[in-house]
Order: sequence, then C-alpha cells, then structure tokens
Amino acid sequence: MRLLRLLAGRYLLGLRRRTHVAAVSAVSFSAMALGAATLVLTLALLEGFQATIRRQLAESGVHALLRPRSGRTLPTGDWLERLRAAHPDLEIQASSGGAVWCLAELGALPADLVVVDTLSHVEVNRVLAHRLAVVPGSTLQLASPRLRLTPLGPLPSRRRLEVGAVVANRPGDDRAVVRVPRAVGAQLLGEQAPQAVELRAADPARAFDVASLVQANLPEGVEVVSFRDLNRPLLAALALERIMIGLGVALVMVVAALNLLCNLTLLAAEKRFDVALLSALGLRPADVSRLFVTLGLGVGALGGVLGAVAGSGLAVLLDRTRALPLPRGVFVVSHVPFRVTAAALAVVLAVSLGSALLASLAPARAAARRDILEGLRYE
Amino acid sequence: MSDAGSAAVRASGLVKGYGTGERRVEVLRGLDLEVARGEMLAVVGPSGVGKSTLLHLLGLLDRPDRGELALLGTDVTGLSVEERAAWRNRRIGFVFQFHALLPEFTLEENVAMPLLIGGTGRREALAAARELLTAVDLDERREHFPDQLSGGEQQRGAVARALVAGPDLLLADEPTGNLDADNAAAVFERIARLHLSRGLTSVIVTHNEALASRCDRIVRLVRAAADTACSRT
Repeated sequence: MRLLRLLAGRYLLGLRRRTHVAAVSAVSFSAMALGAATLVLTLALLEGFQATIRRQLAESGVHALLRPRSGRTLPTGDWLERLRAAHPDLEIQASSGGAVWCLAELGALPADLVVVDTLSHVEVNRVLAHRLAVVPGSTLQLASPRLRLTPLGPLPSRRRLEVGAVVANRPGDDRAVVRVPRAVGAQLLGEQAPQAVELRAADPARAFDVASLVQANLPEGVEVVSFRDLNRPLLAALALERIMIGLGVALVMVVAALNLLCNLTLLAAEKRFDVALLSALGLRPADVSRLFVTLGLGVGALGGVLGAVAGSGLAVLLDRTRALPLPRGVFVVSHVPFRVTAAALAVVLAVSLGSALLASLAPARAAARRDILEGLRYE
Repeated sequence: MSDAGSAAVRASGLVKGYGTGERRVEVLRGLDLEVARGEMLAVVGPSGVGKSTLLHLLGLLDRPDRGELALLGTDVTGLSVEERAAWRNRRIGFVFQFHALLPEFTLEENVAMPLLIGGTGRREALAAARELLTAVDLDERREHFPDQLSGGEQQRGAVARALVAGPDLLLADEPTGNLDADNAAAVFERIARLHLSRGLTSVIVTHNEALASRCDRIVRLVRAAADTACSRT
C-alpha cells in the first residue's frame, strides 16, 4: 500500500526529529548490515576453500568410473572403442590390477598395481614415492604373486622399471599405488580383462557432468559411478560444514533481529499518539500492523542489501589482493580464498528479510491492538 | 427538537463507564441525545462530566457499554472494527483539542491524510487538501511542517483535515481550548462558516460559553446524566 510505504519511509527518514529513536534505529540498521556482511564474508570464505578443494579433487581424481554390474571384469566387445570415438574430449583409461611388492634401495613396500591400457610409462603416487624415496628416473622393482618356473624353482614374476612420473594422491587416499602400461601388467599379472574404466574431462570444471555424458553409450552390465558418488563422503562433509557454519554465523542476524525488535517496540511506543491519530482518521488495525512490518522489512532489506554489498566487496578485495597469505607447503593455496556466489547472496538477503519480518511481528501486533483513546491521551 | 427520522445523531440509553467493581466510574448513565441533520450543537458542562466520552462514542473511537447509537440513519452500535474505521475515514470529521498533526508530514500532507488512508491517489488528495487549506487561509503555509506553525494555524489545519474527505458529521473536542481568544474566535469562525457551506452536522464540545452560544443549540451535561436543560436556536 502506497500510504504505508510513505509513512514507513517518513518515519525512517524523519526520525532525526527524535534523536534517541533515530540513534537506536541507526544501531538496528547497522546491526542488520553488519550481520549480513559477516554472513556474506563467511559464506564467501567457506565457498573459497571448498571450491579449491573441489577443484583439486577434479584435477587429480577420476570424474566418472565404469565398473561391472556383477563379477570382477567388464564385458568384452568393442564398446570401449566406440565410447572413445563418441567422446574424443574425454580421457578414457581401462584398468585392471592386483597386488605387488615394490622394491627400491630403501626397502620394500606392498602396493596396489593398476594396469592402464593407455599408459606408456610407470607412475607411482606420492605415498609410494615418499616411502621408498623414489623420484622420476629412479629404478623400481615390482614383484607379483604370479609365479614363474625357474631352475631354482617357482619364483615371483619380477620387472625392473624406471619411474616415469610421480602423481598426486586422490584426496583422502593414502594407499601406495603404482600404475603401469598394459604390457608390463601382462608380464606381472598375466592378461586380464579390464576391471574398471576411469573417465576424465579435459576441463576439470566439467567433472560433475561426465557420468551423464557417457550414460547413453554404455552396454548392459556396465554401471557408471559419477564424480559426486565417487566423492560422496567428502562432498557431503563439505556441504555439512557449509550449512553448520552458515547457521552458526546466521546467529549474528538473530542478534541483529532482536535489536530490531527492541527498536520497533520503542518506535511503536514513541509513535503511539501518531498511530492512534491515524487510526482515528480511519487507518485500519490491519494497516497499522502492516505499517510496522513494513518498517521492519525496510530496515531488514536496506541493512541486508547494504551488508551484502559491503561483504561482497570486501570478499572480492581480499581475494584479488591476496591480502591474507597462507604458509607455503601447509595449504594447497597461497592465500585465503574468497568466492561470492549468487546463491549465498540470495540466502543472506532471505535471512535478513526473514529475521526482520519475525522481529517486526510482535511490535506490529501490539501497535495494532492498542486502544485508540489510550494512544490519543498519550500526547 | 429534531425529527427522529431526519436525525444525524440519535443516541438512546448510552451508558459508558471505566474500571471494574468498586472502582468503576460510570460517566454516562443512560444518555439520550438527538442532533438534527445540519444542526450545530454545542455540548457544555463541567470537567469530567463526560463531554469528551460522549464525543468519542459519537466519533466511533469508543464503544458504549450499553445503549444504542445511530449515525446518519445507520445503527453503528454493532459495527465491526473495520467498518468503524471506514466510517471514521469517510463519514466523520474529528477535531481534537491538541492540534494533533503528524510531525513528519507537511501541513498539506497532514490535511490530505484521511484521503490517503481512504485510498485516494496522492496527487488528487493533495489537490483536495490545498482547496481546504485555502478555505482556512493557510494556502501559503502548506509546505510547512507542524512545528513551523502557530497553535492557531495548526488548529485551522486540523479543521481542514477533518473536512477534507467530505464527512457528513463534524465532531470537535474543545477545538479552541488550547488557543488564545483571538485565535479561538478565528478557528470557531471558520468551523461555523464551513459548517454552513458544506451542510455539515456538527457537535462541538466546549467550555467556552460565548462560542457555545453561537451554535444552533446547546446541550448541557450534568453529573451522571445528560440533560438538555438549555437549548436555543
């Protein structure tokens, strides 16, 4: 209603005539703005770190995994070639594996052997590289449980190999892993049908879409595990972290809303005569109630928007200037990352308006129920 | 006396009291009153006798404990809160003793307020307010805020506000009680003039016998009852 907006606007802007109410209103407004800014900044910080973790996960991990619906090996046939032809932008690696012993100068270590059909060199992961002190160019001997007959009797199959690369572990994976080309794998474990196919997109940002991309090209007996399912525990933990910290920080908004409630109660008392006069002139109780809700929402919306803008600005500034550095080698990023998202801004504005609405209901109801004559005598 | 059929105000057996039990004070005990359409009635009496209470009942600002009240031919005793608000907005104009202007609004906006409350557009409401302000010689002060006006100007503004929505009934609660003699005369003069020009029915509560004597009729309230002991035309 136009009149209510006029009254609310004039009461908010015209409070300079009543300095104590104006001061409390300014505090309420500032509290809402500060709360909104804090919430935006916190959510931006969380999103910054979590986006980094998700990016690391996508860059180092598998974006989708094909595995047999039953049994240990995938169906035979040319479906894998057809899949590669249909998705040339995807890196598609069929793998099988087993257990081996890795022997180096520092000692021996059991490891998972992964045979990759597209690999041309030997890769070890960082766990294995660290424990055996091997680097690219080092020599590593692999011994498999597959026995071969020698003049000395049956002995484990062995291959002496040069390490081609050291690759990062998937987050949360502390197994020792060595990846070898298909020919090496066949010597160590014998010819094996693929047990799994790993899919990676060239652009890590598409990690979440890979499973749905290939779904239609898969034969019976092959199931696809999406990036989300592969990393479900970690992603769920990140989501839970965001929700819990967001809720915790949102308590700042509750405090701001309580302050707003006090302010509106004071304003309702201060404007007792005015409200009674407006009622005497024909303003309905429902409109009196709406007037105070409009006042509350006005403070909530203005404070929320201002706080969101200030919080976003600060987050962008801190991120771009890399103002908060992190110790090298401890964290995967060099500075504290901030990332403001539209969803976070929408949440903050919704929380601002919601808390302002809740805070204004009680004063609005009390003002609407007040006796007109009692208000007129107040002056 | 007026014809009941054409009465603008008809109250019968109005009872109004405050408090409960032994502390209950009955201000009006079975008051009967009729005001004819177009009549200008003065209500006089000592303080505490119930003049303002009567006016509040007539202005639908309060409800009687018992009795019946009809305004402009309509029984208003059982009206809902919303209906009473609509009546106050469109059919009744009220002038309070203390000028009662909203401090955050200009005089023009204050005068237009009943129309704005009633849903009239801002431009139209302000135009109507300007017309009324001209009628009470305040056109040049329309942009001023209440604290920039004298007491007399504020009260004339309050009279303009009471009439802006074109009510049928004007109720004034000691409209000159807070003014010096000159301003009181000026305010009363404008009320009387607008009463005639707009064909109003007016009920004016006053302590000022001289001003009361200029009304069509005087009703004198005595303790615990209404008595139309003194009336003249």
